[in-house]
Parts: sequence; C-alpha cells; structure tokens
Amino acid sequence: MDISAMRANFAKAAATGDEAPLYFYSHLFLSHPETREMFPVSMAHQRDRLFSALGDVVARVDDLDSLVPILQQLGRDHRKFGTLAAHYPAVGASLLATLEHFDDQWTPELAKDWTEAYTLVAEVMIAAADEAAEQPAWWDADVVGHETRAIDVAVLQVRPRARYDYLAGQSLSLETNVRPRLWRYYSPANAPRPDGLMEIHVKARDGGPVSSALVRRVRKGDVLRLGPPVGHITLHDESDRDLLLIAGGMGLAPLKALVDQVARNGPPRRVDLFVGARNEDHHYDRADLRRLEQENPWLSVTLAVSEDKISSLEQGDVGEVVMRHGPWLSREVYIAGPGAMVDDTVARLQEHGVPPQRVHSEIFAPSRPGPSLYGEVTE
Amino acid sequence: MTSVQSESGNDERGLNPADVQNVRFTRASMLRPGYVDTEVDHVMSRVAEELARHIAEKSKLRNEVRALRAQIEGTPVHEAPSEQAVRILSSAQQTADAYVAEAEEFSRQMTTEARTVYEEEVRQARENAGAIIQAAQEAAAKMSGGAVAGADTGARSMQELEEQVAYLKAFGQACRVQLRSYLEALLSDVEKEWGQADPALLPQQPPHAPVQRSSRDAPDDSAASFYGNTAIEASPDRDADEGSPSRVGSRSAP
Repeated sequence: MDISAMRANFAKAAATGDEAPLYFYSHLFLSHPETREMFPVSMAHQRDRLFSALGDVVARVDDLDSLVPILQQLGRDHRKFGTLAAHYPAVGASLLATLEHFDDQWTPELAKDWTEAYTLVAEVMIAAADEAAEQPAWWDADVVGHETRAIDVAVLQVRPRARYDYLAGQSLSLETNVRPRLWRYYSPANAPRPDGLMEIHVKARDGGPVSSALVRRVRKGDVLRLGPPVGHITLHDESDRDLLLIAGGMGLAPLKALVDQVARNGPPRRVDLFVGARNEDHHYDRADLRRLEQENPWLSVTLAVSEDKISSLEQGDVGEVVMRHGPWLSREVYIAGPGAMVDDTVARLQEHGVPPQRVHSEIFAPSRPGPSLYGEVTE
Repeated sequence: MTSVQSESGNDERGLNPADVQNVRFTRASMLRPGYVDTEVDHVMSRVAEELARHIAEKSKLRNEVRALRAQIEGTPVHEAPSEQAVRILSSAQQTADAYVAEAEEFSRQMTTEARTVYEEEVRQARENAGAIIQAAQEAAAKMSGGAVAGADTGARSMQELEEQVAYLKAFGQACRVQLRSYLEALLSDVEKEWGQADPALLPQQPPHAPVQRSSRDAPDDSAASFYGNTAIEASPDRDADEGSPSRVGSRSAP
C-alpha cells in the first residue's frame, strides 16, 4: 500500500472543497437511491463532516493504534442512522469513483490500494457495529412531559421504552420525527432513575431547526429517538472529595445530574453548585434548584447574573462569583457551559491553585452536529 | 364544521396534506367557541405530517416494487450513474441546500429580532416596576415620618414610638407620685384650715372634694398637657381606692 500516493490523491479531492463530497453523495444516491433517506434534506453540513472524517482517517492510516478506536466509534455511531453492512460496499464504490474523478493521474495501483484500505476500514466499522448489536441501534422514547420555562427554554420529561443505561453527566444524541435525520446532543439533567425517566433541558437556538422544534413543536405524547450515551463528565469512583460544580446557561443539565447522583448514590459529600446566566429570566430551573437545596443539607446553590443590575442575585460572571466564595483548593471541580465561560472559569481556578487534574470541563456550544473525534460534546 | 376543500377534496383525487392544513372550523357560537383553536391546529398539522409521511412511504414502496420487479426480470438495477446525472443531482442538491440555509437564516434573523425586542421590553418593564416600588417605599417612609418626627423607615419609627410610650408612662408615673404627695400635703393643709373654721363638719365630709378641684386647678400648663394621658391610667386605681358615688357627689358639689 503506497500511503504517500494515497494521501496525495486524497489531497487533490479535498482541495476542491465542497465539490468532491457533492460528487460523492450524488454518485451514491444515483447508484443506491435507498441511501438518500438516511440523510437530511440539506446536505451542506453532511458534506463538511464526511471529508473531515475521511481526512482524519487518511491522516492516521499508518497509525492503527489511534485509528482503530476512532473507526470502531464511527461504526457504533452509524447504527442509529440505520446503516447496514450492505451499505458499506456502495459507499466504497462511490468513494472510489469520486477519488478517480478529481485526479488526472489516477492509476490502477491507486484503485487497488484504496479498495484495500476501504475494505479494512469497513471491516473494522462493521465488526464494531456487530459487537454492539445486543444493544438497540436507537431507543424510542416517549415525551411524557413538556414544560416551557422561559420564552426559549423547555424542560422535557422523556421515558425510553427499553432499558437505557447511562452515567450521570453523559450526553446522548437525539432525533425528533419533526426534523428527521438531524441528530443533536443533549445531557439528561438527572442520574439514572428506577422508572427510567430523563429530564432534558433544551434552549431554542435562533434558527436552530432541532432545538426550536423541541421547544416549540414537540409536545407530550411525541416520540424521540435516542442514540447511545457519550461524553466524559462523570464522577470518578475513586474520589470522594467535596464537589464544586459551575454551570453557565444550559451547561446546568449535566451538573444537575451529578447533584442527583450524589443524592441517590453518594458517597456523602459537600456540593456547591454555582449557576450563571445573563439575567434572572434565564434562570429557568431556579425553583427546582431551590427545592434540591432545601431537601439536601449538603448542597448549596448560588445563582449569579452577569447582565441584570437590578437583580438581587449575585452579580458578575459566574467564575468571578465562584472566586468570591471559597477557598476551593480541596475540591473536585466540574465546569459546563459556553466556551468563553468555561475558559474564563478554568483560568481563574488555576490561578486560585486548584490542580488541573481535578478540574473537569465540557463546552456546550449551540447546534453543532455532534461530538468531534476528540470527545468534545455539543448541546 | 365546514372545510374549504370539502367539495373538491374527497373525490377520486384523494386527501392530500395541503387539504388538511387548509381545513377551517366554523365557530359553534359566540359563547361556546368549541375546541381550543391551538389544539385543533396542532392535531391538524400532525395529521398533515402523518399523511405526508404515508405518501412518501408509498412512493418509496412503489420504487422498491419496481426495483424488485426489475431484478426478477434480470435487468441490472445498479449501473454506474452517468457524469451528466451526477451533475444534475449535484446542482439540484445545492439548490435545496441553499433554500434550507436561506430558511434557517430567515428564521434566525426573525427570532433574534423578536428576542431582542422581547428582552428589551422585559428589561424596561422590570426597571419601571423597580422605580415604582422605590417611589412607593419613599412615599411610605415620608408618611410614617410625618407621624413620628425624624423616623425614616417603618421599623425605626415603630421603635421610636415604643420608646416614647415607655418614656411617657414613666413620666406619667412620676407625675402621679408627685401630684399625690402634693395633694396629700394640700389636703392635710385644707383639713387643718377647714377644721379650724368649722371643726363640726370634718367627720361627715369626705376628704376628696377639694382634691378633685385642686387637681384640676393646681398643676401648671406643662403638667396639664400630660394630665389627659395619666388620668386614663390613673382613674381605675382611684376608683378602686375610693367610692365613686362620693366622687360624683363631690365633683358636683363645688
């Protein structure tokens, strides 16, 4: 396998920008029309993702140790899209046709190498998908409650029809039949419960097709599809340190789940939860947080506002407010929220002297299609 | 209930999603307008969606049947698409993408604008409410400040009032003690004088008639201003000390 020749060939296709993926998908849909319905109406984001994923694979093709886990994850992830083993050769044929189309110096050797490489990739992905086969490809979940908490925020109560195992703080992808084939990531705001009920917090992003639909169109009685859980904000079993939880905006959900986990499973510890929002109206879960605080003597909740001068809540960015309390040197710290808020808070904690290995953070960014290969999770 | 499309909609053409979307229900009456509009609208739009889904499924199944038939007849189902076909589909897809992007952008602008207006109005309303509450508090402080001199807040004026009441009680008590000793001295004086003038009258006459009179007349002006206060509290024990009929008689006597 001449890897450098393959990389040079891929670079030619990638250099065309949108043209190569456009060609690829048109070729695929024409030769296998049944694959079209596995994709959303608009393919614009899909095209970006295909070539960035392929680029990742090509870049690591000589480093199987890091490539294989990525492919396995991709294979498992694709089950929820309805991908079957039979689809892989179809994709391979169209990929080959695309690479040939954009290379003037296409050779039979290149064709042979790419076929071999693709077969390998497909085998790993299919094997990983098969291994996960005892798990459902997706879970149907009934919306049993839908409460609009602010002009653009809703809290959904969702109950999967089959057993759904996850850890408090993890995220899951979901799809609504109102916006077919568009999957978005959300964090349940509670630890797993015996009745399986999950609380999902959704903020309608301006122009966001899925989030707007979840807030304004989905109602009690609708059915959502859930993908398997992902993400790395989880409590580590080996630590029973007191917790400092810092949430910005919709980053509250995974941290509320951690509070719930401590309440349900312990170990007993002090938990300080700080929640930042622009103004009082954005504290959509205030009543429930107060309830938790009253029920659990080990929990203290501090709400902060950054752009609300007449509010009686604590004033300032949430990171700044956290620093007014403290000291936090002995705590295990979890941070979730928008990028700027997370960066600011992490920097303040480092300055404060909290060891970096005890600071766990997750960025919640609006409306991106999914976690990157590096595990970054979006809302 | 009537339907805009009801005449043309249910014949051989079949019901299509747009027919469902366009159904309008007439109001039953002014007082009982029937179902909640939004719920009916919601159900109707869901029905339309469901119908659209069924239609799509039907066409998908028709394609599948066609493909399977072709397979049975031995014609190759998958042949490499022509360059021209790929180009046409590509540009069609791009057009679709552009429309979706435009719709999303439009929706983004609309909601952003609506949110900005909403947040500004809420902010102003809250500021106005804050100003009104502050003005009301100031007015309340002013009113309670008029009742008790120097008090700015309700709590403070209340405390001051209590202090003043306590002071007045103590003052009244002191006045009463002084007044009583003064009166007793006066009384013995009068008895002496009167007894000297007409000693025979002394045992029959209750000793208090001059007391009442002198207690009204004797104190100077500043003492008189407290007289009203202390008299109220003082009168019950005086009534207990002395027989009231005699007092009434003695008061009217002079």
